Amino acid sequence: MAEQTAQEIENQELLATHIVRAVKVRRTYYLGDEPLHALAGIDFSVRRGEYVSIMGPSGSGKTTLFNMIGGLDKPNEGQVFIDEVNIAALSSYELAWLRCHKIGYIFQTFNLIPVASALDNVMTPMLFAGMTQADAQEKAAGLLDKVGLGDRLFHKPVQMSGGQQQRVAVARALANDPAILLADEPTGNLDIKTGHRIIELLREINETERVTVVTATHDHKMLSVSDRIAWIRDGLVDRMQNRDELEIEEGRASVID
Amino acid sequence: MREQGAERQVQLPMIKAVKIAAKNIKVRWWRSLLVTSGIILALAFLMFILVSETLASNVMRLSKETLDTLSKRGTLGMLQDADRKTQTWWLVGLALLVSFVGILNAMLMSVTERFREIGTMKCLGALDSLVIKLFLIESVFQGCLGTSLGIAVGLALAYFEGVTIYGHETWGMIPPATVVRLVGISFLAGTLLTIAGALYPAWRAAKMQPVDAMRSEV
Repeated sequence: MAEQTAQEIENQELLATHIVRAVKVRRTYYLGDEPLHALAGIDFSVRRGEYVSIMGPSGSGKTTLFNMIGGLDKPNEGQVFIDEVNIAALSSYELAWLRCHKIGYIFQTFNLIPVASALDNVMTPMLFAGMTQADAQEKAAGLLDKVGLGDRLFHKPVQMSGGQQQRVAVARALANDPAILLADEPTGNLDIKTGHRIIELLREINETERVTVVTATHDHKMLSVSDRIAWIRDGLVDRMQNRDELEIEEGRASVID
Repeated sequence: MREQGAERQVQLPMIKAVKIAAKNIKVRWWRSLLVTSGIILALAFLMFILVSETLASNVMRLSKETLDTLSKRGTLGMLQDADRKTQTWWLVGLALLVSFVGILNAMLMSVTERFREIGTMKCLGALDSLVIKLFLIESVFQGCLGTSLGIAVGLALAYFEGVTIYGHETWGMIPPATVVRLVGISFLAGTLLTIAGALYPAWRAAKMQPVDAMRSEV
């Protein structure tokens, strides 16, 4: 066996760690008196540097799972670990730090501040992290340039197309160099061509910045860029697939068994 | 190269929160103006009613000549009328209520509109206390500005109305201490109402899970 350098060993170790782990997570909503089991004791994990897509039809629980692993909602039962830290045990200060520094969120509805410029939007998390106005402005401009919006720094979301708004959202998600990018239906409100661009952007970030990407989606365009796909159904993982198990044909995806 | 498990988000210094709040007002210029105008009107109305009623109850401080003129015009009898006096206190009560509800509604609405934004802010790492601080600063600013301008407008209008009825002696009719008291109480009431109207929904939104805040449809 060839000798491994210390760096290679460390890299392997890093890859072997789970950056996100959900253990027996349950989330139940009550519609009147009727319980709705959005997540029914689901187990799910993501390794550092992976690009994982959570796929499933509407109502399968993928957005609920997304909210759990992103610390946006609390499970009724079970635990969620981010970097092996149980997020239920975190104080609100620690949770806020996590959301500020470790996780970047991207939403279907972009969730930008409509009245503020693209630059202001991207700067916001940097200011929350304590950066100075000048530093934040410079870094934000750089990020917007990176996503191809260098000439629209001062445009407001209302002056932008959906694809451009989502790119601002991606730049904002990267503001504080997070370890994880969480995207909930990032292409949901976009046309096919723009959707492709955003998926390509996410793939690029995953590869070059080594940021772990987890997306919840029902967009099959995401299949070809994912390292792993978790198919969710009725609040549980139906099956897991690695990229090489997929055969993607024009218009549909099938599985090589 | 392992990242640390869990660190605490540091509170932002007040000056930074003020800057962010100022930016928030600036980007919402017209909306802020509308809300502040609402506060100005409410306080102007309240002050006007209060001061003109105080003027009317201080009518005996006028000089004999003026009282005679008023008497001849028939105004004096009207001003002294007991029924009229009761009616005006009801009017004052109503003015108070209109102002209260008006301000509370304006602030409640303007913050509730921003629930989704608050949810997003929490996703970006804002502490609950920062969210509340930001809305507190905004509402203190709007409250102080709106209340001050409203009181000034209300006072001015009441005194000008007074001059048309009682002549130039109007300026001395109310003792300064009373004016200060009226202004002080109105200022306090207006500002506190503005802050309360903004803080309650802001506190609620900050305490929500981000998903729930972002799900708001306003």
